[in-house]
Amino acid sequence: MTTLQTEVLVVGGGATGAGIAWDAALRGYDVILVDRADLAEGTSGRFHGLLHSGGRYVVKDPVAARECIAENEIVRRVAAGTVEDTGGLFVTTPDDDPEYADRFLDGCRETGVPAEEIDVAQALRDEPRLNPGIRRAIRVPDASIDVWQLVWALANGAAARGARILPYHRVVALRREGDAVTGADLRDERTGEDVRIEAGFTINASGAWAHQIAEMAGIEGVSVVPGKGIMIAMNHRLVNTVVNRCTMPADGDILVPIRTVSVIGTTDIRSAHPDDLPVTQEEVDAMLDDGDRLVPGLRESRALRVWAGVRPLFDDKKAGEGGSTRDVSRGTALLDHLERDGVHRFITITGGKLTTYRLMAEEAVDAMVEQLGHDRPCTTSTTPLPGSEDGEHMTPGARLRRRERHLLTEQLICECELIEKSTLEETMRARGTHNLDDIRRNLRLGMGPCQGGFCIPRAVGILHAMHRMDVEEANRSLRTFLEERWKGLWPILHGDQLRQARLDDWIFQGLLDVEHLPGDARRDVAAAVHTGVRPGSAEDGDLQPTPAPGSAHDSTAGPS
Amino acid sequence: MRVDVVVVGAGTAGLVAAVRAAQSGRKVLVLAKGAGATHLAPLTIDVLGYAPERVESPARELAPFIAAHPEHPYARTGEAAIAEALDWFRGVMGDAYPYTGGLERNMLLPSAIGAPRPSALVPVTMAEGDLRRDEPMCLVGLRPLKDFHAALAADNITRLGVQARAVELDLDVDRADVNALGLARAFDRPEVRALVAAQLALRLRAGERVGFPAVLGLRHAPTVWRELQERLGRPVFEIPTVPPSVPGLRVDAILLGALRAAGGRIIIGSEVVGAAPDADGVTVRARAAGRDVEHRADWLVLATGGFAEGSITLGSDWRARETVLDLPLAHVPAPGEPRFAPGLFDEHPMSRVGVAVDDGLRPVGPDGRRVHERVLVAGASIGGAVPWKEHSGEGISVTTGHHAAGQLAGVAPSVGVAA
Repeated sequence: MTTLQTEVLVVGGGATGAGIAWDAALRGYDVILVDRADLAEGTSGRFHGLLHSGGRYVVKDPVAARECIAENEIVRRVAAGTVEDTGGLFVTTPDDDPEYADRFLDGCRETGVPAEEIDVAQALRDEPRLNPGIRRAIRVPDASIDVWQLVWALANGAAARGARILPYHRVVALRREGDAVTGADLRDERTGEDVRIEAGFTINASGAWAHQIAEMAGIEGVSVVPGKGIMIAMNHRLVNTVVNRCTMPADGDILVPIRTVSVIGTTDIRSAHPDDLPVTQEEVDAMLDDGDRLVPGLRESRALRVWAGVRPLFDDKKAGEGGSTRDVSRGTALLDHLERDGVHRFITITGGKLTTYRLMAEEAVDAMVEQLGHDRPCTTSTTPLPGSEDGEHMTPGARLRRRERHLLTEQLICECELIEKSTLEETMRARGTHNLDDIRRNLRLGMGPCQGGFCIPRAVGILHAMHRMDVEEANRSLRTFLEERWKGLWPILHGDQLRQARLDDWIFQGLLDVEHLPGDARRDVAAAVHTGVRPGSAEDGDLQPTPAPGSAHDSTAGPS
Repeated sequence: MRVDVVVVGAGTAGLVAAVRAAQSGRKVLVLAKGAGATHLAPLTIDVLGYAPERVESPARELAPFIAAHPEHPYARTGEAAIAEALDWFRGVMGDAYPYTGGLERNMLLPSAIGAPRPSALVPVTMAEGDLRRDEPMCLVGLRPLKDFHAALAADNITRLGVQARAVELDLDVDRADVNALGLARAFDRPEVRALVAAQLALRLRAGERVGFPAVLGLRHAPTVWRELQERLGRPVFEIPTVPPSVPGLRVDAILLGALRAAGGRIIIGSEVVGAAPDADGVTVRARAAGRDVEHRADWLVLATGGFAEGSITLGSDWRARETVLDLPLAHVPAPGEPRFAPGLFDEHPMSRVGVAVDDGLRPVGPDGRRVHERVLVAGASIGGAVPWKEHSGEGISVTTGHHAAGQLAGVAPSVGVAA
């Protein structure tokens, strides 16, 4: 077993946890960040990509609105390279009460969210796909943000200051000595190795899983209810501006252009468990109908995939008992377990939204600093992240520009997302990963219209050729990728995306025959064609009889 | 324009039907929205590869398969029609692109990642890759081609019991990225083949057969293949890659040549936007260059394909539709019922959706009665099969295309034709 020592252990590699790692590293702490899976693989990686202006909350939750606009302005600066400055619109559709827009504008004034009502005709010129029946349109500074770029910029920034980033390390136990938490026992999910971390302070940033981690410290009553939200990516940018319905927040009322796609979302359904988020055909139907109100014809547009994310909805059993919970604002919960439970050197931060990840990190690290009696102020609101030093926002055409420079000299591995072979190889090396899903999150590999139909076999071939994976792992990883991808495809399959899926069936099953690759034991029996490698099995007789020795060399006397 | 037969669709099924009808003296017009799916397919004639265990001998296993799948296209044509169609196809390909094999034994050809593909009738340029033989293999990767994974394929083939290894060749083609078609055109040039053979000669080991991605020539494939065998002094074989498919393009060119030689016509870029069948024939409206043209034919052969070709669609209202004639579709799950299973490799309710036909390949309604006497259906438009899983795609296309034309041949020419 490996034992590591650190000052701060952060559990949970979403935006909040990575933000905490960055914040704490900037304040000079030695940090280890762990996640049971890849970074931004949970809630953070499953949202719509909206950097809120706060407009969505100006009527319902003015505190949240103020936080959002303040953070929006900060994130645009410090994480500029992960933000696309799309701007946002709130529009009153024919189904909405036009007077809500007045309350909305009042709310914007009160909370400081910049808002400007524009002519409907102007809005329709800017966004021609918008419902022509809209009655009012208000411009706000919404933006879209590439969450994987953001979380990795946070992690890499922290790592550059000495932090150790450990994805695929699952916490199996928190270590308690007396009334203090002193670290955690982990399992490396990739190697099976046990890792012990001795930590001076532990921050639980595991979001919808926060109660599970808190319970490991013997702390009860941290109640986080998983709120499932589904989102559907449409295969191109139906709009270039974030479009919101100008109503009280509800289902299916946000359409976000992000990178090459646009995402319609979302829903809010309380779920029993954060790891069990099935999507039904009915939910997809309802979401497409909702999207159609914003952009008529969205229902018939090509949907790429659907996914569900889980919000951590905090519902503390000890709330209201006074002093034990610092309800920073709506949704965000910072639990100082010393105050709340008498447990030292352990805090939990959960709830919140991606837009306020930085503020949550600041508050969490402030609480730690206070408990430790240090004086180290937060600098994340003024320190740019790696890749954002020049303050330039990302633009949808950036990859195309790069591609045009390398047209004759570089192989293109993914035509949909314009990923070149050298970029793929560099990413694999830099991340030290050979997991296709990790690479997908870093590069958007397989996220375009063909959903991996062409690029995924290429990526597997390259990984194998780079000796990053042996043949068994290559086969397994190809099959796993396809099976995982299918989960997000089948509920939305219709029209052109069904056509694409059928072409992919032909490629993967008809042509490459992924289904019958030698891979796992069950398939090996069916796939083995030659006497030399036939696995001994009682079932052999049910399959193909083995040719007699000698006859196997005779092409006319194959297995009979 | 007045013709005997309008074939809608220029994929394998449509061109097979058109060539056979034209060769039997019919005046044939092929109307197609675009180049057919032949351009995408490996054009190994897979008749039945999995049922669901791997099929060793289609000749032996087709009868029980048909009995177990009474709605399958093969159940409509009958087993004998499959053998006839394969013989005919082989004859049309002739020396231009010779095929070998048959229904007696499936060959096992390696895929581009090294899985074994069972296939009945295959181009001679691929046949030496048969995994039932145990001579070792050397697979040749060509650096500009990103869709052939020589090392991965070799490792998988080795796991299947045939020793295989990979070598990679640089091929100077002035750019980093060339698809299979570009490379095939390069191999049509003798100097490129000479260079490849020279580069390879010293890297091969005794007794090895040599596998290339299927790029060994577009117009002169048999010559290229034979020449490489001679130069290397050993068996050479091709392995099909993802689209564009060079073997598919070869077959497409031969079928088009045969169609023209038999007096048939084809208009690519002519989308059929309406067809009105009546008792004596069919009036077809086709849109080309923004203009609608009407054609009148005694017969219409619908060979437009299935979902992959966009000819059967599933709307966002979750209703499935055949797009040319709005023919009734079979195997459609009821509204609200599951359309797909959550596991990719599971049997999906939508997989078998297609036009239901009778033994004469006429479309039928839910009651089993013909909806149009003068319309025949061929290829992937016909429901009841899961060809990418069964490995039966080209088999169904060749058989039903051939069989559809045979239905016409069996009918006396109508008076209208003579007039």
